[in-house]
Amino acid sequence: MTTFLTFTILGLVLGAVYAIAASGLVLTYNTSGIFNFAHGAQAMLGAFLYWQLAYGWGWPVWLALVVVLGVVGPAMGGLLHALIMKGLRDTADVTKIVVTVAVLLGMVYLSQWIWHPEEARIVEMFFGSNAKVEFSGVVIRVHEIICLVVAAAIAIGLRLLFTRSRVGVVMRGAVDDPDLLRLNGHNPERVAALSWMMGSTLAVLAGILITPIGGGALQANALTLLVIDAFAAAMFGRLRSIPRTFAGAIVLGMTATYVMAYFPSAWTWTSNFRISLPMIILFVVLIVLPQERLRGAAIRTRERYRVPTVRRAAVWGVALVAVVYLLKLLMVETSVSTFALGMTFAIIALSLTVLTGYAGELNLAPLSFGAVATIVVFHFGVVGTGLAARLDVWGVLLAVLVTAVVGGLVALPALRLRGLYLALATLAFGVFLSNMVLRDTTEHTVFGVTFSLFPNGSLIIPPLRIGPLDLRDGDTFLMTATVLFALIGVGLIALRNSGYGRRLAAMKDSPAASAMLGQNLVKLKLSVFMISAAIAGLGSVLMSSAIGSVASENFNVMAGLALLMLTVAAGIGYVSGALFGGLMSGVGFVIIVATFNDLAAANPDLAPVYQAIGSLSVVSTALLGIGVGKSPSGTVHDVVESYRSLRDARPVLVGGAVLEAALYGLTLAGIMDNWWFAILTACLVMMLPVFGRMVMARVAPDEGRPAPHRTPPELVGVDEPYTEELRRELDRELGLSGHDRGPTPGGRRPVRSGAEEGNVHVVA
Amino acid sequence: MSLLETQGITVRFGGNTAVDNVSVGVDEGRITGLIGPNGAGKTTLFNTVTGLQRPAEGRVLLDGVDVTRLPPAKRARRGMARTFQRLELFLSLSVRDNIRVAGDILRANTGSRVDVDKETDRVLERTGLGDIADLDVSDIPTGRARVVEVARALMTSPRVLLLDEPASGQTEQETEAFARMLTGLAEEGLAICLVEHDLPLVMKLCATIHVLDYGAVIASGTPKEIQESPEVIAAYIGTEVTA
Ligand SMILES: Nc1ncnc2c1ncn2[C@@H]1O[C@H](COP(=O)(O)OP(=O)(O)O)[C@@H](O)[C@H]1O
Ligand SMILES: [Mg+2]
Repeated sequence: MTTFLTFTILGLVLGAVYAIAASGLVLTYNTSGIFNFAHGAQAMLGAFLYWQLAYGWGWPVWLALVVVLGVVGPAMGGLLHALIMKGLRDTADVTKIVVTVAVLLGMVYLSQWIWHPEEARIVEMFFGSNAKVEFSGVVIRVHEIICLVVAAAIAIGLRLLFTRSRVGVVMRGAVDDPDLLRLNGHNPERVAALSWMMGSTLAVLAGILITPIGGGALQANALTLLVIDAFAAAMFGRLRSIPRTFAGAIVLGMTATYVMAYFPSAWTWTSNFRISLPMIILFVVLIVLPQERLRGAAIRTRERYRVPTVRRAAVWGVALVAVVYLLKLLMVETSVSTFALGMTFAIIALSLTVLTGYAGELNLAPLSFGAVATIVVFHFGVVGTGLAARLDVWGVLLAVLVTAVVGGLVALPALRLRGLYLALATLAFGVFLSNMVLRDTTEHTVFGVTFSLFPNGSLIIPPLRIGPLDLRDGDTFLMTATVLFALIGVGLIALRNSGYGRRLAAMKDSPAASAMLGQNLVKLKLSVFMISAAIAGLGSVLMSSAIGSVASENFNVMAGLALLMLTVAAGIGYVSGALFGGLMSGVGFVIIVATFNDLAAANPDLAPVYQAIGSLSVVSTALLGIGVGKSPSGTVHDVVESYRSLRDARPVLVGGAVLEAALYGLTLAGIMDNWWFAILTACLVMMLPVFGRMVMARVAPDEGRPAPHRTPPELVGVDEPYTEELRRELDRELGLSGHDRGPTPGGRRPVRSGAEEGNVHVVA
Repeated sequence: MSLLETQGITVRFGGNTAVDNVSVGVDEGRITGLIGPNGAGKTTLFNTVTGLQRPAEGRVLLDGVDVTRLPPAKRARRGMARTFQRLELFLSLSVRDNIRVAGDILRANTGSRVDVDKETDRVLERTGLGDIADLDVSDIPTGRARVVEVARALMTSPRVLLLDEPASGQTEQETEAFARMLTGLAEEGLAICLVEHDLPLVMKLCATIHVLDYGAVIASGTPKEIQESPEVIAAYIGTEVTA
């Protein structure tokens, strides 16, 4: 009995901290419509800062708490809202999610820069772990009592805020129905700013409270991903209701503790199972959540992509292979294998092009699906031993097939629901996989077969051999990976140009309209998710064999998020976006950091500067992702658009090509080194459109820039989001006075929005 | 018995009853009008009939079969098609592809070997969209965009077509051509339900008109009967004040 009570209290404590984290998440989601994937990262950053003040600099605990909770927490939330989140209205869900993911990554990189991850840092319980109270045999630590009291206080505080204060009533109005808020003339941005500040503070508080409960060691990734538990709790309240979120958090905390207590501890899966419980609960809740209303294109999003014809894509594919071949001639052997590794990442990134770019759905853990393929190929696809070991094609095919099926199974529970839920499900799966499967080094015996999924914590994946083509040779590997990328890329473009691709585009643009044409959305999403998982699987098998020996770090959730972020920043709707995103996340980081480290080693005086620049450039990649909010179509799109104007400037294009060929010649002859070649090429690519515009302006001065595009009044609110400003303008044009006409006269109910109004003809 | 029938449909949003015990029918070969001031519940009724909104009470019958519990896609496959008041065009597709994708879906669903390209050309010609077929849908005026929605719906070879304010944003000439097209479609046997604020157009085209106000049907009848109904005149005076 005492044991039971002890575990019950431990469960309550865990649940209380989950509740604190989850309520912050729900708050921001409801007032700003942004599901904050960076919530856990905020908790992490707050906890590290608290450690720095209280332990690093030895400030008194109370002062550290006041600074972190009273200043840093609200400031972080306020800044996030003002600088980033406010600009995300009227963007697609995908853009919103990717931006918060970029914030997450930026915070993780930042923390790893400031607080070196290999140093151990411990946050103690408040009043130490020995401060405890005993009630009839049940021992409770003071820290645990604090957690319970704080959670209760927050529950009561939120309740009072919502029922007693004006802004709280407005907020709750928002929690229940965000549209209502706008209708009643409240300023949603002010409320959103406030809720971001509160949400951020709650995250920080949760981070400080939970670290000692989990053993005390500060660990950036683990704390950041703790947010999954909060997601699961928030899901109980359908991401809307705070009381239900609290209830869900308690259920989650108790279950986790009971599993730990009463499952046989000899069973090695028990602790893994406990860690994975949130994800299991998340899936169960996903399955029982009722279907929502189908949405139309509620907002006219700004994302635009041009789809090339298959013929043109094929030309580009051949050009890519040729360019890679020419570049290969310039490279030393190690660079060739680095390049090849990058190319395998680009293949994985293609899985995102079809899923996100074409179908508008998200997979936040592409590498985790890749891990599935790698495990399968390790167990079933290796022939021969030692140096003679090779992957055979059938094994790879099997791995790809299994990955597609696993992908389908993971996605299925979330497919009835909004895209956000699929994103959550994939992230939860990624964390689950890292916790359970990739750490599963023990031997299991199932039906008399003894095996371990991840023996020795790493898998040796030999190179692939297809008939006479042996990928042990670095050059062959690079060219094969490039050809594969080109083939899959052209294949995807063909797919996008087919009836299937048009159906994907229709589903992405307006689920409601597409259903009204008879499209079964679940089936279509399932099929595209499986195709995407298969491509990720193929890419990952190649990636693993390029690395040679892979461990769970290679399939890390953060790495998958970085891949997604960079692909979206480059242009998720484009195959070339996958190329740049994949190369950048696969090897770009490594090259940047290595280059600056080399520079630091070569110039010891300037070493700190170079190292700082290196770290800074890694952190600033997150800015690329955040920039997606501003230019959601991606960099490739912008480059393509800028080159579009060059079509009529032949001499400029030819001149550019000749110059580039000369650069290449100089480099090949060894007169210029590769760095100069790379830098000059980049300059050339960027300068050419500018140059072209200058030349064209000289040739045809009349054809200056076209007049800025102006939406005709009848399209206002149809093609563009209908803003307050537009409404005023319309009122002015129509000669309507009084911008804040309250309820419409004549006893009519207010119409929902201007776009709904239409023309009203009156019976004469 | 009408091809499409609602029986006592009621829809509530919180405490607000948007559609109140509505029973109306849409017949084959005819255009049925549905009018009423803004906020009367016309769009909500369409959403309920097509399955985008679940009713609190009541049934929807299509050709005598109860479809109240079917998802939108299944209703569409049984011959329901609609347009949206808030345009729901596929913005990443061209005009032609917006129409063609309806054929793609039909083909994927039924496995039929219909020639989607040829069918698309036929619909483009019929709806008079040939001149803008290869433009991006975001580049065309609202009036034509509404016709694209109709064309897309026609591509599914529907038996009943629900049009939500299809003429708003159209020029006078466009409306005339549009009216001719609707008459033609009805003559071929299509059942059409028309929600429209252009009352002269509704009076000209419709055999029967239902008037909604505050979610309830306040009058039903021929155009002449509706024009003389005191309830309707009272309801519309409110609108006159608003506009
Ligand atoms: N999703 C919704 N949530 C809450 N209220 C709604 C919703 N959709 C419509 N309404 C309300 O239902 C009523 C009917 O609206 P609607 O069907 O759009 O009218 P109409 O199409 O006749 O102009 C209005 O009062 C409107 O505010
Ligand atoms: Mg309407």
